[in-house]
Amino acid sequence: MTTAVTSRPEEARRSRVNPKVLAGGLAVALPLLAVLVANLGRDPRSVRSPLIGRPAPAFSLVPVGGGAPVSLEKLSGKPVVINFWATWCVPCFEEHAALTAAARGLPDVQFLGVVYEDEEARTQEFLRQRPSAYPSLIDPEGKAAIAYGVFGVPETFFIDGSGRIVDKYVGPMTRSTIAALVARAKEGAR
Amino acid sequence: MTPVAFALASILAIASGGQQIPPGSAPAAGIGAPKGPQLSGPELDKRTDDIGALLRCPVCQGLSVADSPATMARNMKAEVREKLAKGYDQEQILAYFERSYGEFVRLQPPMRGVNWLVWFGPVAALIAGGAVIAWAMRRSPHQPAAAGGRQDALAAPAASDLPSRDSVPTDPKLAAAVRRVRMLAYGWPQGVSPKAGS
Repeated sequence: MTTAVTSRPEEARRSRVNPKVLAGGLAVALPLLAVLVANLGRDPRSVRSPLIGRPAPAFSLVPVGGGAPVSLEKLSGKPVVINFWATWCVPCFEEHAALTAAARGLPDVQFLGVVYEDEEARTQEFLRQRPSAYPSLIDPEGKAAIAYGVFGVPETFFIDGSGRIVDKYVGPMTRSTIAALVARAKEGAR
Repeated sequence: MTPVAFALASILAIASGGQQIPPGSAPAAGIGAPKGPQLSGPELDKRTDDIGALLRCPVCQGLSVADSPATMARNMKAEVREKLAKGYDQEQILAYFERSYGEFVRLQPPMRGVNWLVWFGPVAALIAGGAVIAWAMRRSPHQPAAAGGRQDALAAPAASDLPSRDSVPTDPKLAAAVRRVRMLAYGWPQGVSPKAGS
């Protein structure tokens, strides 16, 4: 006769770690964890513009309300600030005053607005109520916006005297932000 | 489109390029002279949709330019159409958008650099996983008995180890209990197998 139930060394087995399996798991998990940690602070929707450091895409656009087309090439030699905006964009509203003040204070810099996905009549009305110190251009079919890789408004490009894009700013700017970025564009011209 | 089909399409696009350079079309910034035929009619519509499906709508969440109703996407589609009509090929048009929006704008990452991992990483992981499983399965039945108690614990007890149906423990009290259980469970009179005596 025998007793059928015996104690088995199962518990001992469970607590033992297989070093090969552990090493394999770490080899897969650690690099993934490193990528995660390295990108934790990043906004997944913000993409660095590949245009920075490259020549600014050329355009020739008619200002709001008509007039001679403004082309970028004719402005070379002078730092240029191009602000993409729209009347339906609330942050652009706030930014408008800062840009106008900056344009008045910096006569050696050419400020330009490019109207993004908006009607000319509404833009004209907006500019009549809040006069601007620089021209805003109509961008039919958003060709300039596409060429500049615009994702939304407001987005602002800073171009140095040689026609190279020095910086791109996403979101509304204050006067001090504008001043700092213009200073960098001026440096780039030298 | 599968990666293989994408690779074939890319090869075809490269192979078909450089044959016709339509006279009088100004090269667009950075992408050179048009390399393909100038499209029109239904072919133009079809190719516009094809290329629109490869471009990410920048203002949408994971939608292609072909699928998105956004103004931005419509404008990009118009740009694709215009470029196709001028004779630019697929790769040139994708490169045009990539210049301003970055590689992000391509819904299918081009096969270069780290992107190889995206295309072939999952397949490689599947093969590696299969190999590990096959190796583990081949290995386990041949594990030597020298592994000792571990193996014995898992193995089913041999038939000779099991107590016989008719045997009883030597302890008289325990023997009585076992017989009682057998009587209740099997209906054996006095807990003894009817065959036991024969």
